Amino acid sequence: MTTITNISLSRRRFLGGSAASAGVFMLGLHLPLGRAALADDVDGDMNAYIGIADDGTVTIRNPYIEMGQGTYTSIPMLIAEELDIGMDIIRVEQAPPGEAYRLLYDGSRRFTGGSFSVRSAFKPLRTAGATARKMLMKAAADEWGVPLAECSTDNGRVVHEQSGRSLGYGELAPLAAQLETPADVELKSSADYRLLGTPVARTDSAIKSNGQAQFGIDVRVDGMVYAAVKQSPVFGGKVKSVDAAAVRDKPGVIAVDEIPNGVAVIAQTYWQAQQALAELPVEFDTSETDSAGFSSDAYRDELDQHLDDSGVAAEDSGDAPAALAAAARTISADYHAPFLAHATLEPMNCTALVEEGHCTVWAPNQGVDSVVMAATEVTGLDADRITVHTPYLGGGFGRRFIMDYTVQAVTLANRRKGTPIQVIWTREEDTQHDFYRPLIAARYRAGFDDDNQPVSLHTTTAGDGPIRRHMSSPDEEMKVDPSVMEGVMHQPYAIANKRADYVYRPVAAPIGFWRSVGHSMNAFFTESFIDEMAHAAEQDPIEFRRSMLNEEPRFRKVLDTAVQMAGWKGQAWDADDGRKHAMGVALHQSFNSIVAEVAEVSISDIDEIQVHKVWCAVDCGFAVNPRIVTMQMESGIAFGLSAALLEQITVSDGKVEQANFDSYPFLPPQRMPEVEVEIVNSGADLGGIGEPGTPPIAPAVANGLFALTGKRLRDLPLRADEVTA
Amino acid sequence: MAKLTVNGKEHDIDASDETPLLWALRDIVGLTGTKFGCGQGLCGACTVHVDGEVTRSCITPLKQAAGKSVTTIEGLSEDGVSHPLQKAWVAEDVPQCGYCQSGQIMAAAAFLRDNPEPSDQDIWDGMANLCRCGTYLRIHRAIKRAARKEV
Repeated sequence: MTTITNISLSRRRFLGGSAASAGVFMLGLHLPLGRAALADDVDGDMNAYIGIADDGTVTIRNPYIEMGQGTYTSIPMLIAEELDIGMDIIRVEQAPPGEAYRLLYDGSRRFTGGSFSVRSAFKPLRTAGATARKMLMKAAADEWGVPLAECSTDNGRVVHEQSGRSLGYGELAPLAAQLETPADVELKSSADYRLLGTPVARTDSAIKSNGQAQFGIDVRVDGMVYAAVKQSPVFGGKVKSVDAAAVRDKPGVIAVDEIPNGVAVIAQTYWQAQQALAELPVEFDTSETDSAGFSSDAYRDELDQHLDDSGVAAEDSGDAPAALAAAARTISADYHAPFLAHATLEPMNCTALVEEGHCTVWAPNQGVDSVVMAATEVTGLDADRITVHTPYLGGGFGRRFIMDYTVQAVTLANRRKGTPIQVIWTREEDTQHDFYRPLIAARYRAGFDDDNQPVSLHTTTAGDGPIRRHMSSPDEEMKVDPSVMEGVMHQPYAIANKRADYVYRPVAAPIGFWRSVGHSMNAFFTESFIDEMAHAAEQDPIEFRRSMLNEEPRFRKVLDTAVQMAGWKGQAWDADDGRKHAMGVALHQSFNSIVAEVAEVSISDIDEIQVHKVWCAVDCGFAVNPRIVTMQMESGIAFGLSAALLEQITVSDGKVEQANFDSYPFLPPQRMPEVEVEIVNSGADLGGIGEPGTPPIAPAVANGLFALTGKRLRDLPLRADEVTA
Repeated sequence: MAKLTVNGKEHDIDASDETPLLWALRDIVGLTGTKFGCGQGLCGACTVHVDGEVTRSCITPLKQAAGKSVTTIEGLSEDGVSHPLQKAWVAEDVPQCGYCQSGQIMAAAAFLRDNPEPSDQDIWDGMANLCRCGTYLRIHRAIKRAARKEV
């Protein structure tokens, strides 16, 4: 009935096999995952990561979604390495909901974010591959009547060298499936890796180059109709009145219906729905929302009033306030970061079909369990009556954790049982109904002794954060919101007295997780201020940082690598284009990876900030796929630079003032710098890769602008007119 | 009823004259490779060729395309892999989320036809489609690779 292919086939189709034919071997693995007892999962045989068809094709169920960050390549690599197969015989499928696929927080949670995917899967999925390989070898050994120790594998076949016999995995799979799952298997040592650590090509490039890759908005189900939505322009408003009769006779219109915070027009085509919606008379009631009078300017002023409050100490070592008071010399500076939208290029959308006792949802999402929860809440059905299909995501960046658009589609479909409905937001709705990176203000203060050595760093950060908003328990007071304070507290620099104060000021606007979350703004504050401290101490910014990193060899190595790559120049110089250029540097750890970036900047002929080149060094412990690591550094830099130069959401009277890409522009190709990436494989525990490239770029550029102009920009986005004036 | 030739095949489109070509392609013809990003001609995710010209289909009413020949990403090459740009896109691993790439490739195809031996600056000046993942450097390299016929 559907034309969905290669997205997430139902269990029946997976097991019955279409192209894969019969005899799919499913491994029920007990993996060392704490509380996840995999073989007893709700679906009985849904607990597997690996399926082997009789033609030897290996299907790998990926617990993580693909939104550009490369999990459809790096996750199967983990299994392929230990199973001893090539990437060319692998099909990647999105794993359905199920406890078996919860690899985070001791096997209790599953979502795609926090730069967690490869790190969390690294051991379990290699173990899955090694376990499957051992079972296949045992099956062959039994078949041949030879000792297991005499068997080996070679690219999808079990081999018995002495007798010259071999059997393909596809032939062995049904036999292996009858065997006990071995409790412990040995994993390869890194010296024996064939795939891990090599630049394996992406599995999704071809279908993303010919229109075949299916995104949520491309879902087509027989009998499907489309819905366009208008949500209260003021956050939290409700529909007061709607004159459905005014559009009921418009071409294609099927119905006008309410959704939790707005109205929807359902029509035969999306364009018809949009046209009718544009003419639909609707009034909103904003009398009961806290957001009605909310203004981002006033909130920023409010935060500024609280930057000398004694907040909750997120970090407190020594006595920073006392050391400041006693210092020979002090400096202080205030910084701001604005609200930001995610602006995924694929706007929010969701398709839902509710039938008697069952609900099917096609939702681009970063957490399939959240989709199930949303659908159960709307329909009243049990979780096992909800089927979720997760297509490719046209960008996520943290937006698609929050299921507001899913609730809309399921709400509409629940009222029209048997009719599949696809909700698509316009770009304007998408920009104005995001869950924004919060607006944050911070005050940084440093004290120096008589020798100009730093003795105290005291910071105060005021605002609200997405962890408190979306993940905290109402019964428990959250003292320090890590999504506000990460990247401020526990910085690597050795300073005798450090305190990081958190001042909670609730914000009457929707806030959420934006690529690299708190780090995206705190790296800007922290690394700009370290540069200010270097200047105050009359030291080169590189040497100043190095002098405080004697106990942090990984940080020093990453910093030194980026500096060497760039051929660091501490002073502005006359470049070949006839303009002055200068370099700025920033060093920041996030998601367990350390990244240093050097940016070469100038002011262009049209008075724009121009970033010519970025040199980036990254230590993520071990680069599972260096090609994807490099791509993610490029992407993270583009994303962070876009915010540093262009992006800002402002709110007036509870309504977002930006709407489409003309008022909320993001980085165009002409402003993309050259990027050179070097990977430092330190061998430390794995770090994440999807986000750590983003935080250092804003401070690297701001520090470069200071070196260029002597002017310090402390608010994002960075404005050229403030350094050229 | 508008007559439209899409990827060499004729279609009778039962939709109002003002319907943007984008939605006619996606919802009526059934070709979903062409994407909706902004609806205002700002991002280029909806880029197709109309009589060979680069066209942002989200702001092109059906009446302007009627009787003309439309090429979408699905029609760029017969097998979906053999166009030099498609090969170059795979060789450089350009796509990340991939949502903008249909439009990028259609824009690049027309650009390369008109500028078969582009300089670096020609490419930066000639390609204006947005990519939220920031794959611009690889798009640039893939266009150069296709132009050098090293695919």
